[in-house]
Amino acid sequence: MSTERGRHRPLSSFLVRGAALGAGVAAVSFARRWLDVVEVQGGSMAPTLLPGEWLLVERRTYPRRPPRVGEIVLAADPRDPTRELIKRVAALDGETGLVSLAGDAPDASTDSRSFGALPVTSIRWRVIGRYYPLPRLGRL
Amino acid sequence: MRNPLRPTRRVHAHCDIPCGVYDPEQARIEAESCYKIIEKYNASSDELLRTRCIAVKEERAELTKHHIDVLWHDYFKPEHLEKYPDLHETCWKASKAASKVKQTTDIAAAKELLTLIDKIDEMWKATGGPEKTRLQAVAA
Repeated sequence: MSTERGRHRPLSSFLVRGAALGAGVAAVSFARRWLDVVEVQGGSMAPTLLPGEWLLVERRTYPRRPPRVGEIVLAADPRDPTRELIKRVAALDGETGLVSLAGDAPDASTDSRSFGALPVTSIRWRVIGRYYPLPRLGRL
Repeated sequence: MRNPLRPTRRVHAHCDIPCGVYDPEQARIEAESCYKIIEKYNASSDELLRTRCIAVKEERAELTKHHIDVLWHDYFKPEHLEKYPDLHETCWKASKAASKVKQTTDIAAAKELLTLIDKIDEMWKATGGPEKTRLQAVAA
C-alpha cells in the first residue's frame, strides 16, 4: 500500500527533495522581481489569446531596448490608467518614441485606432508565453 | 503560501463594445417615437396625455442623442472621415437636433432630426456598416 511504502523512504530522499524545493522557491521569488503571471480578459487578441488564459510576462527587456513590431505587450490604458491593456505592437516611430498598438481581432478591439499612439515609456512588460490551458502551452 | 502559478492580475484585451454592432436604425426608431409623440401632443387637448407626451419625448430624445454619439465616437473611424469630410459636422448637428427635440413640441425639429439621422445612415451604409456591424445570419 502506498502509505506503507512512504514510511520506508530513506531520509536522503527527503533531503534532496527539500533542497530542490527550497532552491525552486528561491529561484521563483528571485525571478519574481521581473517575472509575473497575468490573466487575459476580453477578446480583442483572439484567436492568439483567449479570455481566461494565463501568461508569463517579463520586464527585463524594455529597459534595454524598445519594443519591436509584432511583440505582445502590456501597456497602461491611456483612458483609464488603473487598467492594463494587452495588445500587439503594430508600429514604432523611432523619432517620436510613439508606439501604435493593435488587437489581433480588429473588429473587436479598442486600440491605437481610437486612442492614438502611446509613448514608448508606457510599455514595460513583454509577454513571453502561455502556460494555461496546458494544451495551448507555448511561447508567444 | 499562494500558488505561484496563479495570475496576480488581469490584463485587458479590451474592446469598448465587444459585440461591434452598430446601426443608425436604433437612433432612427427613437427619433420616430419623438416625431409621433409630438404629433399626438399637438392633436390632443387631454392635459394628462400631453404631460405624459412631454415626459416620454424627453426620454426618447435623450436615447436618440446617445445612439448618435455612440455611432460618432465608436463606429466611425479616421478613414471614414477622409471619405466624408462633413461627418463630424453631421453628427454634431444631429446631436444638437436631438437636444432641440427635447426642448420643443415643434414637428419641424423632429423632421430635421430624422433627416440628419438618415444622412448618418447613408455614411454608415457607404462605409460597409450593414455587412461589418450587423449579424448576417444567426449561427445555429
